[in-house]
Amino acid sequence: MNNEAIKVQNLDKSFKEVHAVNDISFEIHQGEIFSLLGPNGAGKTTTIGMISGLLTPDQGQVWVMGHSVLKNPKQAKAEIGVVPQEIALYKDISARANLNFWGKMYGLRGQALTDRVETVLSLIGLEDRKDQVVSKFSGGMQRRLNVGIALLHQPQVIIMDEPTVGIDPQSRRKILDSVKQLRDQGVTILYTTHYMEEAQELSDRIAIMDYGKVIALGTHEELIDIVGELDRITLTIKGEPQDVLSKWGEIVGIEKVTSEDGKFHLLVKDSNEALPLIFDAASQANVRINSVDIQEPNLEAVFLHLTGRALRD
Amino acid sequence: MKIIAIAVKDLWRAFRSFFALAFMFGVPILMTVMFAFLFGGIGGEDSEFSIPKTDVLFVNQDEGSPLVSSFPMDGQEFAKMSDMLLDSLQQDTFNDLMTLKKSNELEARSAVDEQQVDLALIIPKNFTNALIGGSQEPSQIEFYQSPEAGIGNEIVQSIVLSLVDSFSSGVIIQDTVTSIMEDNGVQLSQAEQISLMSSISSEMESGQTESQNNINLIQPAIGQTEDNGGDPLQTILRSIMSGMMIFYAFFTGTSAAQTILQEQENGTLARLFTSPTSTATILNGKFLAGFLMIIVQVSTLLIFANLVFGIQWGPVIPLVFAAISLVALATSFGIFVMSLVKGTKQAGVIYGGVLTFTGMLGISSVFVMGTPIEKAFDYLPLLVPQGWAMNAFEASWQGDWQQVLIHASGMILLAIIFFFVGNARFKKRFS
Repeated sequence: MNNEAIKVQNLDKSFKEVHAVNDISFEIHQGEIFSLLGPNGAGKTTTIGMISGLLTPDQGQVWVMGHSVLKNPKQAKAEIGVVPQEIALYKDISARANLNFWGKMYGLRGQALTDRVETVLSLIGLEDRKDQVVSKFSGGMQRRLNVGIALLHQPQVIIMDEPTVGIDPQSRRKILDSVKQLRDQGVTILYTTHYMEEAQELSDRIAIMDYGKVIALGTHEELIDIVGELDRITLTIKGEPQDVLSKWGEIVGIEKVTSEDGKFHLLVKDSNEALPLIFDAASQANVRINSVDIQEPNLEAVFLHLTGRALRD
Repeated sequence: MKIIAIAVKDLWRAFRSFFALAFMFGVPILMTVMFAFLFGGIGGEDSEFSIPKTDVLFVNQDEGSPLVSSFPMDGQEFAKMSDMLLDSLQQDTFNDLMTLKKSNELEARSAVDEQQVDLALIIPKNFTNALIGGSQEPSQIEFYQSPEAGIGNEIVQSIVLSLVDSFSSGVIIQDTVTSIMEDNGVQLSQAEQISLMSSISSEMESGQTESQNNINLIQPAIGQTEDNGGDPLQTILRSIMSGMMIFYAFFTGTSAAQTILQEQENGTLARLFTSPTSTATILNGKFLAGFLMIIVQVSTLLIFANLVFGIQWGPVIPLVFAAISLVALATSFGIFVMSLVKGTKQAGVIYGGVLTFTGMLGISSVFVMGTPIEKAFDYLPLLVPQGWAMNAFEASWQGDWQQVLIHASGMILLAIIFFFVGNARFKKRFS
């Protein structure tokens, strides 16, 4: 296994007629933050379900810190801390009672448990609210506690399934910072998100998933290279689009034209040169341009390039 | 250790839930209190229950017997057996239970119809003659009462029947004794025979009245034959309390198992599965939680019923057998039932339908006590687990070791079956 914290080999999972994960393979190195990026329904949660031992794959193998999840689930699970997408807490008891209970589930006892509970409470900033019933917490505080439980037993690998969904910017920043801190301490993190900015900020490597497949994998720079140095121009227009789409496609320097939900995405080599030509073509086709948005190359552009669809739903 | 941690967590959560506490303790106690009021209220300086005093009109149409002119008993002479019965009913021991006045049939029936009295006790013309064997015609004592008569009337009827039984038994014994003596060449005069019969009846009657504090006298009215702690109302309350305890113990068991479904829906079960904790450990923790919850519930209700209602539960060891078997059965039944449903919404149907139906059938003996259909319910409740528990408790307070062991064994066997089937179903679901 060498430096691999997680190894996924030909993993496959279907739910009735839905092929949720389709023969995926990748390795995650120890001490890196590895993000699974993709829209909702891409298969990210199913993938981490199989890695964490919650779901049994139809085919394939998973190893965590050298332990087969299928053959030695207890040893593999002991190496993992899981932060589920939904807030999985006992809301009718206190934060401390929650941490105590989950600590025991990971084999912590006595003073070691007490110490770890206090440390984690401090880490997630809930020391002052530790004896308060969780149902009284804000969504952000519940999210932080949700994360804290996964840190209790000081696992080698932490799996975070969209941990920042639906929370305030302050709690989101706290979680992202704590993820970086954990990486700095040598912990391996598997992070799923459909927020491109999070993947971009946190990740050492990113796997882009769509329809159950890994469609691209690499560092941020490697992924950007897939689309080259192309800018992305997003337009909304008023008028019949058919004529203008064909005219835009003929302009030199425009690499790709796609439309989605009333918006038109153009991948161009140089947006400054292309914009006047885009407006001229629109004018000739009797189309009025209502809005223009220009973006430097990013993961959104990569996803668009690979799938023809925007990353966000 | 993980099993205990899961159990303690579930217990902690349950005892913080008003709903759970209400079902575990509040409702069974409230139901018993309601029945206590229904059967005569809670009162008295010592906070024990009082039996309502029954107003009885005694209509004596007994014409005596041409064979015997006098019946001696306790140093008194009575012209008719009905006079002996009246004298017995007027003893101090029955003063708290009834007020007795003589009347004629017309006035007595009218008084009952107008609800001025509770009961008219009408002694037929051939009462004495039938009792001493001078008449072949059956003699029927009439208890004329309103259809809505309460427990007080039943108590009076039972006392009367018991006394009449003792008179009639005296006659049979006297016949037997006389016959044996005649076979041995000893001839008793009629006066000596009457004297013998009176003595036997007197002894039997006094034997009954000496133990009149014991509910034996009125047991036939409420379907009991064993010790009762001295208060007929308490016997009824004991049955009701047992029934309620069993009924709601099964609710607690199902509620405890329902936390599996709740945790599944809240995501905490999935999180448990991602920890190094096996499915068996999780399910066993849930079982232990339910087991402990019902132990607390049953113990509290037993002690509470004893202290507050004065209910005597009989010998301790059979009671413990019955109680532990109930706890195991109710817990495993909960696991089994919850393994049949997919979510908490379906569980509502279980609460409303299955548990109520099986519970009511199981404790139906409480509701048919003293009714003509009582016999039919001797075995019918055994179709459901609650029926086994009810029978075990009934046998327990009667000190019937054999029946306790039979029913407790049946309950434990059922508990094992429910536990393994429920566990297997859950494991299959979560595999």
